[in-house]
Amino acid sequence: MPSMGFVQQLGIGALTTIQVAVCAYLLAMAIGIVFALATLRRRWLTQLIWVPYASIFTGVPSLLVAFLFYYGGSEIVSSVLAPFGVSQSIEITPFMAAVAALGMVYGAYLADLIRSAIQNVPHGQFEAARVLLVPRTTIWLRVILPQMLRLALPGMTNMWIVVLKDTALVSLIGLKEIMAYAKLASGVTKEPFIYYMLASAFFLAMTWLTYYVARNVEQWAGRGFHPVVAKGASHAL
Amino acid sequence: MHFDPQVAWDSLPKLLAGTLTTFTVLLPVLVLGLLLALPIALARFKPGPRSVLAAAYIGFFRGVPSLVLLYLIYSGLPQFSLVRETFLWNVFSNAYVCAWIGLALTHSGFMAEIIRGGLAAVPQGTLEAAATLGLKPRQILFRLRLPMAARYVLRAYQNELLIMVKSTAAVSAITLVDLTAAANTVFDYTYDPFTPLMTAAAIYWCITNGIRLAFSAADRKFNRYLVRA
Repeated sequence: MPSMGFVQQLGIGALTTIQVAVCAYLLAMAIGIVFALATLRRRWLTQLIWVPYASIFTGVPSLLVAFLFYYGGSEIVSSVLAPFGVSQSIEITPFMAAVAALGMVYGAYLADLIRSAIQNVPHGQFEAARVLLVPRTTIWLRVILPQMLRLALPGMTNMWIVVLKDTALVSLIGLKEIMAYAKLASGVTKEPFIYYMLASAFFLAMTWLTYYVARNVEQWAGRGFHPVVAKGASHAL
Repeated sequence: MHFDPQVAWDSLPKLLAGTLTTFTVLLPVLVLGLLLALPIALARFKPGPRSVLAAAYIGFFRGVPSLVLLYLIYSGLPQFSLVRETFLWNVFSNAYVCAWIGLALTHSGFMAEIIRGGLAAVPQGTLEAAATLGLKPRQILFRLRLPMAARYVLRAYQNELLIMVKSTAAVSAITLVDLTAAANTVFDYTYDPFTPLMTAAAIYWCITNGIRLAFSAADRKFNRYLVRA
């Protein structure tokens, strides 16, 4: 039987896993949105940055990127800051390296996803809003965003699960998350199977929770397309 | 932050040996995963207990990270004396075998969904026509449904294959020295974080883009009847 002390530690590790995954996903979203909007129209300047970025980060394992950021991160940061006259070296923790690596890798995937969602919103929507002299911010936030969300959500849900699962892999750089604690516990108790099963139960529960939440969110995002008929009002149809 | 070509050249034999390990892990996984996925995808079509079991299999192996599976098989299974004291120990004490089994299970979960989608996309009328012409169910499956499904799922399979190439980096956790692990060992004794990791990244980049090119060529060949005007 698993001892409660180790299970508690596993719980703490699970929280770290979720923290890393959430931070990485937010960073990936930020990178994805910036690149998606910048590459909406093909301009050679943005293509010059985007094409190599996407090619590199989608062609290399995230573990390798995490190792690169962990071992060489402080040098990268100081060489980026050097031209600005800042000569400060910061220490890169495994947490920072993991978030940066996962965020940059999955930002490339999310950018593609978000861009194609925007492009699949009927073009007439843009034109109609512009003809009606709707301000630009309102066009994006109130007209385009709700419509592209419906298209982008399934892919974004999948990407969240991939990020969460990849967090386990990136723990190999020395991140103290659920896999590290499971390894520790199984080394001490000589009962590895139980602790790794607990870890997999955590990931399964998270996947299930994600799909449960995603189903509701997708229903909400698609509310204009699959109208929910209220009880008692069905005669209206 | 700089790249040292001399270190890169000197560490190349080690990295290429790591690349070989990566492929030694990858290729059996692809075959094994495909063989496991096919019956599971077929089981999903007929409603009943077998379909539920197949759904549970797919759900489990898609939900659990491959690293957890690798640990579960490599260090988890030997907890049972049944594994340790019978012939199974010869099988599970080998890190390669554990890597093959662990990654193949993950791969089969994803492939089963892909194959199911491909099979479901084959037009019903084609199958009815085949049945009317007197083809046996086995013939319909192997000569009609699977070849057609293979054309439909080419793009999805490319994505899954690229994910598997990158997943093999996880096997360094169970003592195998693959490309990522080889780059790390070079880092350990040169203390140069950039050169070995970037060289390894370049090798990965060549592998993944080689696969992309191959799939584009395959897509052009097999789906040439779908040429867009």
